[in-house]
Amino acid sequence: MRRRSSLPVTFLVPTLAILLVLSMVPTLYAIVIALQNRELSAPGYSWVWFSNFADLFSDRRFLNAVWVSVKWEIVTVVATMVVAIGLGVLMFEVAGPRLRNFYCLLFIIPVLLPRVSAAFVWKFAYHPLYGIATYPYRLITGGLIFDPLSKPGSALFAVASVDVWQWGLFFAVIVLKLLETLPPQPIEAARLDHAKRWQIHAYVTLPMLKAPLISLMFVKMIESLRSFDLIYVMTRGGPGVATETLDMYAFSQGFIESGKVSYASAMAVLMMIATVITFTMLWKRVQA
Amino acid sequence: MKTIRPGRLIAKTILALAGFLAVFPLLWTALNALKNNVDIITRVPKVVFTPTLANISYILGRDSVLTGLYNSAVACGAAVLIGIVLGLPAAYAVARYPNRFAGDIQFFVLSLRFLPPVAVAIPLMVIWLQVGLYDTLPALIVTYSLLTISVIMWLAIPAFQGVPKEIEEAAFVDGYGAYSVFWRIALPVAARSLIGAVAFSFVLVWNEFLIALMLSSSNAKTLPIVASELSQQGMNVPWGILNASVVLLSLPPLLFLGVLSGFLNSVFRQKKS
Repeated sequence: MRRRSSLPVTFLVPTLAILLVLSMVPTLYAIVIALQNRELSAPGYSWVWFSNFADLFSDRRFLNAVWVSVKWEIVTVVATMVVAIGLGVLMFEVAGPRLRNFYCLLFIIPVLLPRVSAAFVWKFAYHPLYGIATYPYRLITGGLIFDPLSKPGSALFAVASVDVWQWGLFFAVIVLKLLETLPPQPIEAARLDHAKRWQIHAYVTLPMLKAPLISLMFVKMIESLRSFDLIYVMTRGGPGVATETLDMYAFSQGFIESGKVSYASAMAVLMMIATVITFTMLWKRVQA
Repeated sequence: MKTIRPGRLIAKTILALAGFLAVFPLLWTALNALKNNVDIITRVPKVVFTPTLANISYILGRDSVLTGLYNSAVACGAAVLIGIVLGLPAAYAVARYPNRFAGDIQFFVLSLRFLPPVAVAIPLMVIWLQVGLYDTLPALIVTYSLLTISVIMWLAIPAFQGVPKEIEEAAFVDGYGAYSVFWRIALPVAARSLIGAVAFSFVLVWNEFLIALMLSSSNAKTLPIVASELSQQGMNVPWGILNASVVLLSLPPLLFLGVLSGFLNSVFRQKKS
């Protein structure tokens, strides 16, 4: 029925052209800057080619940032999926339709907050003397101080807990909706075979949802790359360099400490290459 | 059946606890926004106190906060508008006029989300400095448009695919052209999901921090930047004021709570059928 029309061209070409320009110009320019030695304080520059990249690999703070980023990625993705599947299954099992709607509404609230807001809310809550989250500890121990954000061992987990608070609860809602789309027959059949509730989920429902759950994990992996706001507000990469992820280190190299824009850009380019390659491969896998 | 009972009780308790954890920290922040400083800085949290509006009126009276609010509203509003104008038609074309590039186009749009924000922000800062648009709203709007166009497009493609084909075919038979089918049939029928997609893109740019931080130094600061700066003054700033600014920053996205949860429901209802 559809006659040949100019619609696809007029609707697609301008948008794609604009997207291409808006994305390729900064991307290519990032590479150009990374091959130079620009600094914020000085207007001049020259080409240094790959020396920024060579410097990076002998920069121990950079290697630390890579390690922190990997830790951050693993901790937040795993914790988010565990919380999401756990709470999603619990809602599916024990909550009636009205209660489900109520919980869904509550669980969406944290993810809507600007990350800056979420970071502040928890920074106050984690305050060792006056915070609401550390209050139970003070109460039980009779006033001992617990300061999760200033200990190198716990700071990353304290910040990650805010990320999981936002995304884990939100994904629980999605897991519930996914469970609701499943046909009831396999669950009934398993029940007739005297399978326990947890067995039904471990061996029947969750394997049936494997594909969407993997997509969900993929989305979380991408979103976890955006940790900057939380870390910037809560710890500024500290204590020491315990929570200094790659974007935090690139930002402080480029703009706070030394103004080495080219050095920061080299870091950003490496990040970009790593994420684009990893996620393209993962995406092709998920689609296949 | 008796053996299941304690398990159900534990499960309900965990859920109730999670529900409590989801909203309580935010409610507590809102409560603190109404407190005098002496009532916040206490070792035992105070639930009973004499409320004050001083923090909120202080926040709303600050020029920096009002400018931030204005900048956020203009930058996000304009970027979302551009996203609608460019993203929706493109999404419709991908959804309804399949060609051999459709898969690649979808992947390209998604892959824009892989780009680390720092990798985009550093070169853009240098570029905007060179063209003399650094620290202006137009620079921020153009940068945010990349975000809004791609997100709206990504979410609108399935929304348009959800429109029953028969309705559009019937309109073609009635003599509608391709463009009027888009305007008069596809847009209104898909409107509910599309509004969800647009609301989502708004929340995304409203909450954006890193790019705004790098592309503004004084004039174009958005609200998240202003709020984070209040805290950089350390604990000298009364906590009540900080809490009030967090509440102000969080309110606009929360207004979309209803729209977005409706959007989620409609997405999954489509999947079921």
